[in-house]
Amino acid sequence: MKLELGFIQIKDIQFSNECAVKDGILYVNADDVKAFVYENDDVKAYIESIELDIAKPGESVRITPVKDVIEPRVKVEGPGGIFPGVVSKVDTVGSGKTHVLKGMAVVTAGKIVGFQEGIIDMTGTGAQYTPFSKTLNLVLVVKPVAGTKQHDYERAVRFAGLRAATFIGELGRNLVPDETKTYETYGVIEGYNKLPGLPRVGYLHMLQTQGLLHDTYVYGVDAKRIVATLLNPTETMDGAILSGNCVSACDKNTTYHHLNNPVVAELFEQHGKTINYVCNIITNENVYLADKQRGSDWAAKLTKLLDLDAVIVSEEGFGNPDADLIMNCVKNEKQGIKTVLITDEYAGQDGKSQSLADSDPLADAVVSGGNANMVIVLPPMDKVIGTLDFVDVIAGGHAGSLRPDGSIEAELQVITGATNEMGFNCMSAR
Amino acid sequence: MSYRVVHYINQFFANVGGEEMAHIAPELREGKVGPGLAFETQWKGEAVIVNTIVCGDSYFAEHEKEAKEQILAWVKEINPDLFIAGPAFNAGRYGYACANIALEVQTVLDIPVLTGMYKENPGADMKDKILIVETANSAAGMRKAAPTMAKLAMKLMKGEELAASCVDGYLPNGIRRNFFEKERGAKRAVKMLLAKLNDQPFVTEFPMPDFDRVEPGKAIADMSKATVALCTSGGIVPKGNPDHIESSSASHYGEYDIEGVETLTAEGWATAHGGYDPVYANDEPNRVLPVDVLRQMEKEGKIGKLHRYFYTTVGNGTAVASSKAFAAEYAQKLLRDGVHAVIMTST
Amino acid sequence: MKSGLDIKIITNNPLVVRCLSDYYTIDYHEISFREILVKVRDMVYEGYELRTHPIAGSVKPNETPYKSIVVTKEKKGFNMEHANLCANAILTFDKFTPIGWTLPERILQDFQLIDYTLLAGALDFDAAAGLSKIP
Repeated sequence: MKLELGFIQIKDIQFSNECAVKDGILYVNADDVKAFVYENDDVKAYIESIELDIAKPGESVRITPVKDVIEPRVKVEGPGGIFPGVVSKVDTVGSGKTHVLKGMAVVTAGKIVGFQEGIIDMTGTGAQYTPFSKTLNLVLVVKPVAGTKQHDYERAVRFAGLRAATFIGELGRNLVPDETKTYETYGVIEGYNKLPGLPRVGYLHMLQTQGLLHDTYVYGVDAKRIVATLLNPTETMDGAILSGNCVSACDKNTTYHHLNNPVVAELFEQHGKTINYVCNIITNENVYLADKQRGSDWAAKLTKLLDLDAVIVSEEGFGNPDADLIMNCVKNEKQGIKTVLITDEYAGQDGKSQSLADSDPLADAVVSGGNANMVIVLPPMDKVIGTLDFVDVIAGGHAGSLRPDGSIEAELQVITGATNEMGFNCMSAR
Repeated sequence: MSYRVVHYINQFFANVGGEEMAHIAPELREGKVGPGLAFETQWKGEAVIVNTIVCGDSYFAEHEKEAKEQILAWVKEINPDLFIAGPAFNAGRYGYACANIALEVQTVLDIPVLTGMYKENPGADMKDKILIVETANSAAGMRKAAPTMAKLAMKLMKGEELAASCVDGYLPNGIRRNFFEKERGAKRAVKMLLAKLNDQPFVTEFPMPDFDRVEPGKAIADMSKATVALCTSGGIVPKGNPDHIESSSASHYGEYDIEGVETLTAEGWATAHGGYDPVYANDEPNRVLPVDVLRQMEKEGKIGKLHRYFYTTVGNGTAVASSKAFAAEYAQKLLRDGVHAVIMTST
Repeated sequence: MKSGLDIKIITNNPLVVRCLSDYYTIDYHEISFREILVKVRDMVYEGYELRTHPIAGSVKPNETPYKSIVVTKEKKGFNMEHANLCANAILTFDKFTPIGWTLPERILQDFQLIDYTLLAGALDFDAAAGLSKIP
């Protein structure tokens, strides 16, 4: 399957009477965006108001609580549309041509539960830990109709963000990209013939799938309900995988992460040179022990069936997913498939505790996204987009974490994407 | 004003002599000696070595208590801003001395300490207790070790926060610290994968806790014919501890004959272990080494017989490497004597 | 939805009782999160098997007071792996710095909700349907 990405660099975002991208500047008419977002039954039923705001790198702005971050894209050639099964109709994506509005993101903020977290600081200490301090952010603060149940509110915010990003992405349809890049993986026999002798490498992509604010969707399907299955890597670039995840924001994959999966990108870098990148295998992280057993069994069955030589395994979240991670490692290593794991650590504020809830000597190649328990102090910002009401009770915050001067003392956990386990960032720990 | 440093080195680096001079007792000298120059060069006057303590490696090993007392007294008197030892590279007894005297200074005097050695030096077992800079395995590594040690020493004197072990160059000490790599995680993962695929060396960023699991042996079909030995890390020894097994960090194990011994009496046996309240073990040594129960089983025919010797040491603070060496040695004796099974008791 | 015939839920979450007692056997105890972990560990030593992982979700164990764990209704014999999971869960709990805050009622309800949806997810139970029965 072959996909061409056309990157359109966005240099600024401005509110305007019209919606357009001109000379790299995105002009946004907030009412037009809202109108498109509201063309959805869930948004209509459960969302009282949507406010749009803009946050730029370097500004003294804090966005919280962040629900999701999404990169605007539009499918210009080939079957299907962006976010199949959710915004576009179900159709297999990942081939043809897609335009990407680079350098920006749509960010949704909405307080679904009281202890929710997710902070993006555009400057200061916090900014160095989140990748979204470097993007131009179009923020939607989404408020529910009084009495809306958390489930319904979560779904409506999720749809609102995806629809807004789709609307913005559409503005790039007829532009000439600044840069294009082509990604292609092959069928099993085709790849074997085209790239003889190269080690066959797969990407075992673990998705957190446990409950409200802990879910991931694949082609619109709640991934709790899937068994391990195959994906062309390019499908992820068209929004096949979506985030419904935001609690413990540091190691949750936003939709932006799924669209720009760094493991996919780095494997493509080596594809055809040092490796034959065969495909992605997605598997879930359920709470039921038999599901964990089945999920890791199936993932290992698929890697064997595909005659892979090695896999990279990325985790999402911490705690019980550590068990899935280790099972995915051990079952593959035992059948001779070499593994490298990407995780993050919960080593305590002093860094002295055992980092993972499970371990095995076969997990001898591990990349760490850093210790999420590290305490940081976020300076006060001139402007807050969203609300700070509950910073005291966000995960990783603690009593008194919001200081009178507006600064916040909290663990790294509160920062969106800080210890990402796809290896999106440079941070690590030793 | 400069920071004041005391430097500990052995007879060899003080240019007193090699193995033949390893017996010399600690002596206190003014200013820097030998490798101290390399540190001072790096510090550029910000810190000076006010005194150097020279001690023979054999002397330290054989008279550890006296050596520590003497050195501690000097360091207390001088009251430096930092105590630095070595680097010892791969010299085992020197590394042991550096680590142990540094720990003593840190614990008793609360003065920052630093040493350096090769990661496989036995002294490096103490990396979780004191800061040890990783060096090459020979003195040729001084050129590289000196700047790293000097820089870290300066951080300690200034009270600055440590960076991650791989940034500051010390052996991982069980405290995880965040830092920024040059490349993102996914790229590092792919590089690690390529190395692993090509059987090239790579370093995991998170070493799994070392459980050193042992595969269970084959089941014994008929216990009624089996010879069973008792072994313990609980320190049970004949009263008076004739072989002087240390109450902690044991350097050896004991082998004792229990031929005809029906039960371990409080009169005849006791524990040498310093890591738990010994009252109950001394009162009834069978609680740790159940000779009485095994004798009973022997009589009932549940086991063939209890082996004539038992092997014992003190597990308290004893290095894993030492424990392994003890067991490797007496396991051969057990095999030679036709022992089928071992019951290992801990505390 | 998973059958409730051979499993039971050990919980300190009142919302679980309200939403699931028509479908599952529920052992409700007014005890702490950690005490639930210890209770389940002791049950595993008595021979009950775990059906869900003792740590679920990403809400830190030092934040939420609520915990629900699914075990077998009958003793099945001692399961070493499950004992290990319980021991590690307690170790994980203990490594988080106690927060010691007093949570407002609304936050408590949200924590109950999250614990309930994690449990519902594990049981293939429609969480929203369970909630809709609550007046």
